[in-house]
Amino acid sequence: MIQPRKRAGLPDWLVIARRELLERLRTPWFIVVTLLGPVLMVALVVVPVVLGRVGDQTARVQIVDRSGQLGEALRAALVAEKWRAEVVPADTDEQTLRARIRNDHIDGYLVVSAEAPAAGTFVYRGDNASAEHVMRSLGKVVYGVVLAARGKALEISDDKVTQLLAPVDFTTRHSTGEEGEEETSGLAAFLIGYVVMFVLYLAIVLYAVNVLRSVVQEKTNRVVEIMVAAAKPRALMLGKILGVGAVGLVQVTVWAVMGLVTINQRGALLGMFGVDAGGWNVPPMDAADIAVILSYFLLGYFFYAAIFAAIGAMVSSEQEAQQAQTPVMMILIIPMLCVQLVANDPRGGVAELLTQLPFSSAVLMPMRWSLGGASPASLAVSMGILALSTYLVARLAARIYRVGILMYGKRPTLRELVRWLRY
Amino acid sequence: MLAVRVDGITKRFGNHVAVDDVSFEVPAGVIYGVLGPNGAGKSTTLRMINDIIAPDAGHVELLGGLRPGAESAPHVGFLPEERGLYPKMRVLEMITFMGELRGLTGRDARARGEAWLERLGLGQWRKNKVQDLSKGMQQKVQFAATMIHEPELVILDEPWSGLDPINADVLRDVVREQQAAGRTVLFSTHLMEQAEQICEHIFIIARGQKVLDGRLADIKRAAAADGRVALAFAGPADRERAQAVLADRALCAATRVPAPGDHADLEVELAHGADAQRLLAALVAATVALRRFEVVTPTLHQIFVERVGRDQAQVAERRAS
Repeated sequence: MIQPRKRAGLPDWLVIARRELLERLRTPWFIVVTLLGPVLMVALVVVPVVLGRVGDQTARVQIVDRSGQLGEALRAALVAEKWRAEVVPADTDEQTLRARIRNDHIDGYLVVSAEAPAAGTFVYRGDNASAEHVMRSLGKVVYGVVLAARGKALEISDDKVTQLLAPVDFTTRHSTGEEGEEETSGLAAFLIGYVVMFVLYLAIVLYAVNVLRSVVQEKTNRVVEIMVAAAKPRALMLGKILGVGAVGLVQVTVWAVMGLVTINQRGALLGMFGVDAGGWNVPPMDAADIAVILSYFLLGYFFYAAIFAAIGAMVSSEQEAQQAQTPVMMILIIPMLCVQLVANDPRGGVAELLTQLPFSSAVLMPMRWSLGGASPASLAVSMGILALSTYLVARLAARIYRVGILMYGKRPTLRELVRWLRY
Repeated sequence: MLAVRVDGITKRFGNHVAVDDVSFEVPAGVIYGVLGPNGAGKSTTLRMINDIIAPDAGHVELLGGLRPGAESAPHVGFLPEERGLYPKMRVLEMITFMGELRGLTGRDARARGEAWLERLGLGQWRKNKVQDLSKGMQQKVQFAATMIHEPELVILDEPWSGLDPINADVLRDVVREQQAAGRTVLFSTHLMEQAEQICEHIFIIARGQKVLDGRLADIKRAAAADGRVALAFAGPADRERAQAVLADRALCAATRVPAPGDHADLEVELAHGADAQRLLAALVAATVALRRFEVVTPTLHQIFVERVGRDQAQVAERRAS
């Protein structure tokens, strides 16, 4: 018997993981997506605001005042809001006005009925009526002008009306009642939680599906035969999941850093586009929060990557893979649909359940945690359940992978699949 | 030392028995061919030897007692029948990667990979992507990737299928080199010409069962003793005189027209108990002028067709009864 040789180099799973990592890091797509991803995210925040402002300034409105009382006041108030408004004769018929919209002479017209201001209706028709800022600022203007007119009718003096209409300072602050917490804007807290959830969902789907595709590709170009000749299927699967996961980790880390910079420099960033940041207080993100996010990314990724690797081993073409992955994709969409449930009541029972189930916890728990809805104990239990499920799923997947990886052609039936698990 | 000892391995897929109680031994340092028609169980046997699938019964020992799998992996190189490479990898990287999978350090694998590429005439392609290479070049890269860790046992599944004649020669040289370096080469093929040129030992398998095994020279000698003689005559008159001699059923069981290109006029199957010497004496006595008189050693192809054909006929008879 010859002396068994010791491996001089790295273990096989590590060699495989490194290959998967390097192959992906080197593609131009990786660099483009990694760098452009955050640019797109910033654009998502800035562009609508900027475009909204641009829309304001060019809005051209005509006012048909059948009451004969409010036209001039409305015009003045709209001009103060940077609209281009003019009063047209009260007998202008609506056909003409519609034609003006059609020919793009105006964006819309406001019809004030004869009973105004005591009663009556105010109807705005225009091609920009669906824009949120149009409805909001037009509504505010009409409301203010009508209240002022009614005040005058009731013989209330102008400065009393002004006092009545003085702005009410109403804001929401996110709080979990804990000592020493910094006050944060409710909307900002939700948005951060939402962004975290969305990035996690995206990263998990992106990379877990990448594992599936890479398994199927190896089957279709027959590399897999050479690979199983040189390494155990278990090492192949582990190496592939780790390698692709490492790519994901690099990308998510780059995004997280750029995201934090963006949030911290938000004012300056929006200022560059001439937009006011609105003085939000963004919830503090400390090391613990980042650790929670990364832990759930890794666990969630492993959980789904193992499932997708097993699916990849079961099929023999990309088309088949598309079909076979659909059920898992559906399961992954459930947490997306349940975002509101968790955001509306982070401490409620539904949120608790959704963040304990391994199928949804990876995506929803970091959000719930960042909203302060989860206790450390609940976090620990959730992580424990997810880690254990991941371990079990990975073991089952490894068995399916071992048998399935060399199968071509027919997809296994459920009964065959059960037999594979027992091999 | 035995390079491979296969002891009673059996593999079933559902109701189909792919390999049925097969045993054979491969001595160290030889070139050993596993021959059989398509679907005979060759690939399944080689996969079991490489621990890619586990036998349902029986067991396999490699290199004097190592278990297939992780323990023997650094000592064994396996080229599967279906083989691909990562199309986006560079040629040298691909070979280095395979070497590292077999336990070499990166530096070592790289140096050996460079040497192999030079040896196979692919030196200037080492920075190219695999997908830029022709099919023949890719096949050479696959050989190099199989042997980069200098395994004591090289196992090749249908290595000649799809090779052009030039690359087939390259592979044959590589196989001979491996043997000259003291290594064992075990390969499967259904191409008898290739096997005949380089095998010392053969194992014929059909329908999952062993048909024949042993040293190729012994097998051929035994087949030659069955008695077949090729004749070529000086002229037409000689042919007529010979016909009279060959009519003797005690001497000649049958005659047949030889294969074209054999440069013989007639092939004679000797009668049971007769030998070539008696036939020659009888022909000379009848004043038959001969251009050629040769005891025919059957080709491996003929032996294979005869044995596998006969075997399959027997299997069919057994089923019928």
